[in-house]
Amino acid sequence: MMVKLLPLFFITCMAGPLIGAILPDKKNPAVIAFTGAVSSLILLWLSGSLLLSGRTFVEPLWYLAPFGKLVIEIDRISALFLFICGLVFFPVSIFSAGYMKQYIGKYSLKSFNLFFHLLFASVVLILIAGDIFLFFIAWEAMSILCYLLVNYEHEDDEKTRSGFLMLAMSEAGTIAALLAFITIANGHGDIAFAALRSDASALGHIARWAVFLLSFFGFGVKAGLIPVSSWIPFADPASPRNISAILSGVILNLGIYGIVRINMDILPISFVGPGLIMLIMGTVSALVGILYATPERDMKKMLAHSSIENMGITIAGLGAGFIFASSGQPALAGIAFIAAFYHMANHSIYKGLLFLGAGAIDCRAGGCHNMDRLGGLIKKMPWTSLFFLTGALSIAGMPPFNGFVSEWLTLQSLLQCSVLSSKAIKIVFVLCGAGLALTAALAVTCFVKAFGMSFLGMARSKQAENAVEADKTMTVSMGILAALCLLLGILPTYVIPVMDHVTQPYVHQSVTDELVPPFFTVGTGNNKFPKAFVSDFHALGAQIGANELPGRGLVIMHRGAARNPVIFAMSPSYSVVMLILLLSGAFVVVRLFTKGRALVRKPAWSGGIRKLIPDITYTATGFSNPVRVIFATIFRPITISDPRETVSEHFRSAIKRDRKEVHLVDRLLGKPLFRGGRYIADLLAKMHSGSVNAYAAYVIMSLLIVLAIQIWW
Amino acid sequence: MGLPLNNIVKFIEIPDEVDSRWQGRVRVNLDTVGLCAYLESDTACLQDVCEWLFSELELSFATIVVEENASSLQLTYIFYGEPGAGQVNVLVNLPLSQTIVPSISHHVHAADWQEREAEDLFGLVFEGHPRLGDFVLHEEWPEGVNPMRKSFNAAMPYPNREPDPDWRPMALVESQGAFMMPVGPVYSDYAESAHFLLETVGEDVIRTILRFFYKYRGIEKISEGKTVDDVLLIAERFSGTCAFAHSLAFCQAVEEICGVEAPERAKALRALLAELERFRHHVTAIAGICASTGLAVAASQAQISEEKLLRLTCRFTGHRYLFGANTIGGLSFDLTDEECGKISTAAWDITDKLKELKEMLMFTSSFLDRLEQVGMVSADNAVSYGLVGPVARASGLSRDLREIWPYAGYGNGLRFHVPREQEGDGYARLRVLFAEAEQSVNLISQVASSLSSGPVNVDIDLKPGYALGRVEAPLGAAFHWVRLGENGEVLRYRVMTPSFVNWHGFHLAAENFAFQDFPIIMATFGLCIAESDR
Amino acid sequence: MTKWVVKGLKTGIKTTGYPGIHETAEGVSPGRPGVSGIEGTEDFKSIAESCPADALTSTKDGISLEQRRCIDCFRCSRLAQNRITRDDGYEWADFTAAGKPLGPAFTRSVHIRIVDAGACAACLSEIKLMASPYYNVHRLGLFITPTPRMADVLMVAGPLTEHMRLSLEKTFEAMPTPKVVIAVGTCALSGGVFGPSFAAQGGIGKTMPVDVEIPGCPPPPLAIIHGLLLASGKFRKQKDGGAL
Repeated sequence: MMVKLLPLFFITCMAGPLIGAILPDKKNPAVIAFTGAVSSLILLWLSGSLLLSGRTFVEPLWYLAPFGKLVIEIDRISALFLFICGLVFFPVSIFSAGYMKQYIGKYSLKSFNLFFHLLFASVVLILIAGDIFLFFIAWEAMSILCYLLVNYEHEDDEKTRSGFLMLAMSEAGTIAALLAFITIANGHGDIAFAALRSDASALGHIARWAVFLLSFFGFGVKAGLIPVSSWIPFADPASPRNISAILSGVILNLGIYGIVRINMDILPISFVGPGLIMLIMGTVSALVGILYATPERDMKKMLAHSSIENMGITIAGLGAGFIFASSGQPALAGIAFIAAFYHMANHSIYKGLLFLGAGAIDCRAGGCHNMDRLGGLIKKMPWTSLFFLTGALSIAGMPPFNGFVSEWLTLQSLLQCSVLSSKAIKIVFVLCGAGLALTAALAVTCFVKAFGMSFLGMARSKQAENAVEADKTMTVSMGILAALCLLLGILPTYVIPVMDHVTQPYVHQSVTDELVPPFFTVGTGNNKFPKAFVSDFHALGAQIGANELPGRGLVIMHRGAARNPVIFAMSPSYSVVMLILLLSGAFVVVRLFTKGRALVRKPAWSGGIRKLIPDITYTATGFSNPVRVIFATIFRPITISDPRETVSEHFRSAIKRDRKEVHLVDRLLGKPLFRGGRYIADLLAKMHSGSVNAYAAYVIMSLLIVLAIQIWW
Repeated sequence: MGLPLNNIVKFIEIPDEVDSRWQGRVRVNLDTVGLCAYLESDTACLQDVCEWLFSELELSFATIVVEENASSLQLTYIFYGEPGAGQVNVLVNLPLSQTIVPSISHHVHAADWQEREAEDLFGLVFEGHPRLGDFVLHEEWPEGVNPMRKSFNAAMPYPNREPDPDWRPMALVESQGAFMMPVGPVYSDYAESAHFLLETVGEDVIRTILRFFYKYRGIEKISEGKTVDDVLLIAERFSGTCAFAHSLAFCQAVEEICGVEAPERAKALRALLAELERFRHHVTAIAGICASTGLAVAASQAQISEEKLLRLTCRFTGHRYLFGANTIGGLSFDLTDEECGKISTAAWDITDKLKELKEMLMFTSSFLDRLEQVGMVSADNAVSYGLVGPVARASGLSRDLREIWPYAGYGNGLRFHVPREQEGDGYARLRVLFAEAEQSVNLISQVASSLSSGPVNVDIDLKPGYALGRVEAPLGAAFHWVRLGENGEVLRYRVMTPSFVNWHGFHLAAENFAFQDFPIIMATFGLCIAESDR
Repeated sequence: MTKWVVKGLKTGIKTTGYPGIHETAEGVSPGRPGVSGIEGTEDFKSIAESCPADALTSTKDGISLEQRRCIDCFRCSRLAQNRITRDDGYEWADFTAAGKPLGPAFTRSVHIRIVDAGACAACLSEIKLMASPYYNVHRLGLFITPTPRMADVLMVAGPLTEHMRLSLEKTFEAMPTPKVVIAVGTCALSGGVFGPSFAAQGGIGKTMPVDVEIPGCPPPPLAIIHGLLLASGKFRKQKDGGAL
């Protein structure tokens, strides 16, 4: 039984810090890489097999006096999240071998080793927990470990503050989430999820709303939901880059896991409202995230904002799924959920890759992560550049990489809103679809800037000029993630059935048939389609690979009614083959025409100036400034201008111009909240007059109130 | 045209004022006929004197003329004012060994570029001037070699240039992500060569650095020692689109030195041809503005008028750009009265078309959007930068040399007014161009209908001496300082052109506007780089 | 916007028939000193000697004109003892000794990069007018391009100032082969009134190989179009003018 691997996982996981403790500090990175990678492989094996078999594994552990039985439960949802977790932890562990070397002698690597493995274990524990108690113990452990790891460079005050912000926000979220569970577990005292499921069906409408809102905004703190995730743009950049990759690739998913666990499993949503809120909030998160990512000059902050964007897309997809499910459209709901989970998985992979890339740059370009000061790295760090480019193309939604497939599916599912009956909901769908389309477009701008300004052009600082290629462990780990980006992008028809497994229990229908038709070989299979239709696809070549490849087919296609058999169809697998054929064809043609001619390389045309120098090339800020100008109403920048003069009015020696921006959320929510808090505090402060009599009076009054409550209740 | 009395009174009081302020340290010599005051100052008083002239007498700064004699360097700072306020030359003599002069550009900002120019070309050091890098001579030119000095041989290419100098523009903007956007020197479709560095953080231009003198041909230096006839060719050809105005300024300077006046008919015809040139120049500028905003039909309409005017000019004067028209002492050819009438009629026809175009432009909102409130130059800035011509007149200034010193035919009862706008934006500059073009046609027909008969040139005996030729060129005030030697050869030829002055103030308009406004602002200034670089 | 369309249509066609039909409108060209058929007398000898640009030389048979030096000062035709009339016409461009046109592939589409190497703005003004409605070179497949990377023809005006030399060389370097260099105007051919001196080179011929020379000060638009047609290979030789 595969589940026997679970203890093995925890053993290897704990072996890491133990071995590390007896070895000197400088050996620790290698230990992290080894045990981390081995644990990840075990986890991948375990969750992979469970995911494929689709079985649920439940194992009671032991009885805990006031709370009841502690249970381990791994169903398909857990398995999916575990698998993604393993996919991220595996390369990140390898990456750490090279990356953590820079901390030798500065910070304790033994403690990093311990925290890293404990975090891994706590994450896995959250995902396999089958009852409230275990879940929250692991959740708290995870929160504190995150804080410790974000704070790893603890001598930097700025970073310590970021850690505190994260801890405070996640605790607030945890309380809300806990309240959600308590609302469901009204009465019994049985804390196992199984018991909660049966309790849930008895809940009234208001309680259901309460559960949804508490769980959504409570877990939303971890899921990168605007407005409750202000910690991400601070914590992600503050932490070491491999931890950023974990934060964005794994921890954010845990928020989604919480939302999904409650709203799809324990208390399945059965009405439209929550879905609408998720769709709208998801779209807003996506837009706000990418709007703040695009003009950002700090690579790490940009990636953090973009995490908010991607989680927003995921949440919007989930919301669409809930709406479809509650409106009696299980097939469309399945598609939307698959899109959402697919996007979440993709985000984990490419964001992990990009953060590792940022880490490699950070490590090898003298700690420079300001894109204004980078540039020209493609010549210094070719492999890192290649993998970062893969990540950037994926996140920008460019075929044939994975981001394209999931964003395409999400948008397609949103476009299917015409089947819904309510006009208002249709309008919301259309607006959100437009919002996500704008997000996708801005994401392209953002990552063109990120890649172009960091890797192309001329080096704009000494650090960038002296950069060297990252070492093997770093490039290999990035390579693994880059390969995954490509694989998930060109073979979606193998991923969709797996995702379908996960959503089936909720939507009660398999959409594999709806989404992945078999190979279009004439005569066999596919008897659900009209004959002419199948032969058309056959003629197009959609039967290629039928005999050679396992799996159903290579085309993603959503089927409609007889009159309109195809609603949407696409095949990244065939297109990538076509792309390769076309490119090589073009290459051959070009070679034929230029045969025997020498290739002449000339310097870039620069308007005939003496020489092109870095000072006169575009910076990242300059490149993305149009976005800032167009969306000035959202950014509300405050320009601080200071034309300093030397001696007289018209001779300027320096023109200082700074721009200060308060984040939209802080401006609209943070400030009023802060003011309100201050106001209440001021009111309360008045009570503290300092006179003993007054305090005696307060004590007596409190007693009276307690008495009164006791009597009338 | 009567001269305003209070200006004349102010002029006459200059000696008393100077005496009371500087008690004999500044000597005054008043030429009441030519309305010119000569103030001889030492270097210590120079700043105060110039500040007094500029801020209190409200005179405009024309130019600095540096002349090298056998024993000394003589600097002449020339100021001029409203009609009647005359001209003031401030003279400073330096021994050849002394190269340090106090800078006046903190008080008279208009002198900024001129001091930098003199610094590069004569090796003078203007004390207190914040040097902002290479100006006339680019970085490959070795320090300490000053081509305008008499010892420098201008005829041969200068060999000792640095092959690969370290070039680094001086950035002033301190802002996260600030960079410099390079434009040119080889850019756009038909642009003249100049290099602009726009300091920016993207989208908005924060500071404009103009790197000019790519077209520096050293005409002041190569003119030295040549005959006046040869220098006339240079004066005519250094700025081809304003050839007549500049050759006229040169001819007038030489005529003044020799004490000869061109015949009445020549003077009248000179006014006619100058206005014809101004008309054509403004039509070109209007076409440029239309083209810069992407209004192709309007640009084509203006170009049709431009080509018509060029053909008209060629038909009656032999050359499309009026080359070879001026000679010392008059004109090289005569136009019959009938021909003048034809020119006038044709010009009126073209104005009709232009009026039609103007009407249409004024009602094209997409066009006006690109010009209104774009490229603003305030009146205060225009004064302190000493801007001239249509650009200054669009910012509320109204100095026009045709009014101040009615030269050529302008004094002889020709009626015109100097159009003026207040806003100082691109649209105001366009309106000034249209209004001036109309005035020009008006003047052409006035001249054509009031021609006296007589010869069009006189013979001239060259004499030594110096004079300042002052002409309102299409782009503004042009000053040509000529000094002739014993044999009538040119000893010093100093040209101050309106483009040079207005380019200095160009950054005022271009800064704080978006990149895409830059070409439009440039078109509304309508400046010529050949005229500025010389 | 419709009013502009209507306005454009109402204006009708202004474009010249050149090169199909010879343009004869008055004022399209200032012409050049007409030296053919002049017998060599003392009078002419003094005219030739007084030419400030050394464009005229007196020979045994009369006077010869080197138009690449002529700066249109009109002194030979307006001096007191004037006898030299001016010839009409504008088809003055010619290949240099080593000059070759672009290949046959370029007869329908030629892209031109213009470089101002210190020109007085009159040449540039005439070049700009090539694209105006009267001349409209686009109809001949001639296009002005802002980047040398796409250019087949490098058109240079001005005496080549020292400060522009590097930029001009870089522009020439940046152009793909095959490329043709056209020197426009007397300054670009011989330096005109400016050179050679410490600041200007006296023509661009010393810096790069010139293929086609268009004399004139400034050459009128039709002369420049003629030069471009020669360079693009639409005209075989100067004398074939008018036959496409």
